[in-house]
Amino acid sequence: METEYAIIGGGVVGLSVAWGLLKRGLTVTVLDGDDGSFRASRGNFGLVWVQSKGMNQPRYARWSQQSAAIWAEFAEELGHNTGQPVPLEQKGGYDLHFSEATLEATVAKYNDLKTKLDGDYPFEVLGHNALRKEEPQIGPKVVGAILHHQDGHANPLKLLKSLAADVRRMGGRVLTGKTVTDVTKPDGFRLACADGTTVGAGKVVLSAGLGAAALGPKLAFRAPVRPQRGQVLITEKLPKLINRPSLIARQVDEGGIQIGATNEEVGTDDRVTQPGLSGLAAEAIAAYPALARAQLVRSWGALRVLSPDGLPIYQESAEFPGAYLVTCHSGITLAAAHARLLPDWLEATKAAPDLEVFSETRFAVS
Amino acid sequence: MSTHDLIVIGAGPAGMATASKAADLGLTVAVLDEQPRAGGQVYRDVDRVAALRGDILGADYTQGATLTAGLHHQAIEHVPGATVWAIEDGFRVSYTRAGRGAQIAADRILLATGALERPMPLPGWTLPGVMTAGAGQILLKQSGVLAKSAALVGCGPLLYLIAAQMVRAGTPPVAMIETQTRSDLIEAARHVGGALRGWPYMLKGLKMLAEITRAKVPRYPGATEIRIEGTDTAEAVSFVHRGRAHRIACRTVFLHHGVVPNTQAARSLGVSHRWHAGQSCFAPRLDVWGQSDVTGVFIAGDGAGIGGAKAAELAGRLAALKVAEESGRLSTDERDRQAAPLRSAHARELAARPFLDRAYPPFAGALAPEDATVICRCEEVTAGDIRGHARLGCLGPNQAKAFSRAGMGPCQGRYCGLTVTSLLAAANGTSHDETGYYRIRPPLKPVTLGELATLEHSAPDTAE
Repeated sequence: METEYAIIGGGVVGLSVAWGLLKRGLTVTVLDGDDGSFRASRGNFGLVWVQSKGMNQPRYARWSQQSAAIWAEFAEELGHNTGQPVPLEQKGGYDLHFSEATLEATVAKYNDLKTKLDGDYPFEVLGHNALRKEEPQIGPKVVGAILHHQDGHANPLKLLKSLAADVRRMGGRVLTGKTVTDVTKPDGFRLACADGTTVGAGKVVLSAGLGAAALGPKLAFRAPVRPQRGQVLITEKLPKLINRPSLIARQVDEGGIQIGATNEEVGTDDRVTQPGLSGLAAEAIAAYPALARAQLVRSWGALRVLSPDGLPIYQESAEFPGAYLVTCHSGITLAAAHARLLPDWLEATKAAPDLEVFSETRFAVS
Repeated sequence: MSTHDLIVIGAGPAGMATASKAADLGLTVAVLDEQPRAGGQVYRDVDRVAALRGDILGADYTQGATLTAGLHHQAIEHVPGATVWAIEDGFRVSYTRAGRGAQIAADRILLATGALERPMPLPGWTLPGVMTAGAGQILLKQSGVLAKSAALVGCGPLLYLIAAQMVRAGTPPVAMIETQTRSDLIEAARHVGGALRGWPYMLKGLKMLAEITRAKVPRYPGATEIRIEGTDTAEAVSFVHRGRAHRIACRTVFLHHGVVPNTQAARSLGVSHRWHAGQSCFAPRLDVWGQSDVTGVFIAGDGAGIGGAKAAELAGRLAALKVAEESGRLSTDERDRQAAPLRSAHARELAARPFLDRAYPPFAGALAPEDATVICRCEEVTAGDIRGHARLGCLGPNQAKAFSRAGMGPCQGRYCGLTVTSLLAAANGTSHDETGYYRIRPPLKPVTLGELATLEHSAPDTAE
C-alpha cells in the first residue's frame, strides 16, 4: 500500500484531517485540484463561530463549541511549526439586529438552545447604548446585538497556508493539479486521476467539497451537497473601526473590513453581481455608517458546500468500509475539531467523538 | 434596459475611432473614459495641451486632436471622468462619476482600455524617485513638469521618445541605461523586411536617436545587473556594461521596458486569453473584427495586443463596421467593402511590430527577478515568496494570491499579474497558458461603499 490514507481534496477540511492523521504517525497522500477549482477555503468569511449554529440540533452547537475551544492551541501549534502565525481572535462576536422583533425572537431561540446545552451558551443581549460602548462606530439603525462570548475570527488564508506547509513538513505527500475520476476497492482502495495518476490507499477520506457530489456515489455515499453562493466584499486597509466580528462585517488582521455575505441558490455560478455587492454595502453602512467612505478593493463570490440541513456529514461507507465522507459548510470553525478530534473517529479509537447524528442516513428517504 | 447601441470603454485612439465610425453609421454610442478629457494615454489631454507644449511633444501627439473632434457627434454621449468598476452580462456597466454611482447598458460593448507599462521589478525599484517612463511622460504632458537629473532605464520606442522630448525641453537625461543587446538587434534583423513596410516608424526612431546622440546623452546598451541604489530615495543606478561596473548618480529614475495589454476588463467578462510569446504577455483571442469569444464583447487597440496608436484607430473602425452590420445598419457586402482598405492599412501599421518586439525585448532580469526583489508593490510580496508558494503547491496565480496577498491590493493585480504568472510557470515547469492568470472581478477600479450602496440592490440574507 502506497499510503495509509488518501485524502481527496486539499482545502482546509482535507488538510486539517491530513494534519491530524500525520501527527499520529500515519502516512497520508492528499490529492488536490488546480488553480481554477472551486475553493471555499480561499473564499470564506473567516469566522470561528458558535452562535446560531445547531439551533435545531444541539450536537452541532456542541461540536462547534468543542472546535472553538481548542482552536487557539491548534493555531498556536501550526504557527510554531511553520513560523507562520495564524491570526485568531476569540473575544466574542455579534449578531446585529435592525429590529426589536428579530432580536427578541433570536434571543428566545438562544435561550431554548442554552437549556439543551445545560447552560453552556454564554451570550448576552446588548441594547443600542450598551453596544455603542463596545462599538463606537455602530450606526443608529442597529437596535441591539447578541454578544456571544465563544465567537471569534481567524485569518483563513493564513490557516490554509500554514496547513499546506505543515502537512508537507510532517511528510504528507500532496499531489496537486489532480482530479480524481474514479475510486475502486479491488483489495485496498485504488484512486484514478484524470491525468492517469493512480494512488493505492488503505483508507480514503472524501473531503472534496462540492466535488463529493460526483465522486461520492462511487463509494456508495449519497453525498447530497449543493453549492450556495456567497458574495463578499473587502475594503482598503483602515484604522481600527470594528472591535468584534459579526455576520455582517469584521475587520481582518491586515486592516481591511470584510463584508458578507449573500446566500444565493445559483448553481455553480461564482460571479459577483452589482445588486449583490450594492446590497451588502448598504447593509454594512447601516451597521457602521463610517464605511460609506471606505474604498472597496476586492469582491468575490464563493460557493458554500451545503448539505440539505446545513449540518456537516461524517459518514463511513457501508459498502466500502474504510471510505469516509467528511463535508461541512464551516471548515474554518471546525478545522480544530477535524485536526484533533476527527482522527480518533477515523481510526475508531476509544476516544472517538460520537458523530452519529451527522450520518448521511438522516437524509434517507423514509 | 439598453440605453445605447454600443458602449465604448476608453477614449484613446481605438475608442474614439470606434465611436465616431459607429455614430456615422447610425448607432447611438456611449463612451466612458476615466480621464477628464479625451485622448487616452497617447493623446492625453491633447485638446488643451497641443497649443501649450505641442513643440516638445511632437506632431504625432498633436494630430490626436482630429480624433477627439470626432467625438463631437450628436449620437455620441461622451462621459469623461467615469471610473468603470463593473461590467456584467447584458451588458450592464457600473461606474462612478463625480462621487456618484451610475449605470448604462447595451447589447454590445467595445473595450478600448489600452496598454499598461510592463512593470520592471528591479532591486530598488520601489524607492521614491523611481517611476515608470510613462508616468514621467504624464507629468510632462499634463503639467509640463520635467525631471532634472533623471536616468532612463530599460528599452523600447517610448524610452527614446521621452528621452527626445526631454532633450527638446532642455533637460536631457543623465544617462540611458539600455537593456536590449546587440544580439537582440541581430535577431530582429530577420524581421527587417516587415519593418521596411513599416518604414515611417523606423525613420521616426532613427530621428529620435539622432536627437539623443546630438545632445550627447551617454548610452549603455546591453546593461545587466541593474540596481537602483539609495536609502530613502533613489540616489544612483548601478549596472554592468561591457564587463565593467558603473554607478551613475541621479535623483530620478524612469523605468520602461515596453507596454502590455490591459486585459482586466476583458478578463472580468470571461474573455479567453492566450500567451503571446513575441510580446511576452497575454492577449485576448479575437476574430478579424476584434470580437472575442464572449458574444457582443469587442476589443480594439493595444488592449488586444500591442500595435500602437494608428493600428488602434484602424482596429476601432473595423470593429465599428462589424457592430453596425450586426445591428442591421450595414449589409455584409458594404461592411466588407469598407473594411478592405482599413485592413491593408492595419497590416501596414503592424508590419514593424515583430522587428520592434524582437529588437527591444523585456529585460530578462526583471522578468525573473531575484528572490529579494518586491514584485507586488501593494502588498510588498517578493519574487522569493512566490517561488516558495510554488513549492507549497500553488499551480497558478489564484492560489499564490491566497497565500501571498500578491494581487489583493488597490491595483487589482495589474502590476504584478504577469510577473506572478511567469514566476510560477518557471517554478512549476509549466507554460504561461497552463499557469493562467488572476481571476479578475469587480471592482475593476476602487469604488467607495457609499457609491455602491446608492445603486439598486438586492437585500442580503445574513443567515449563516
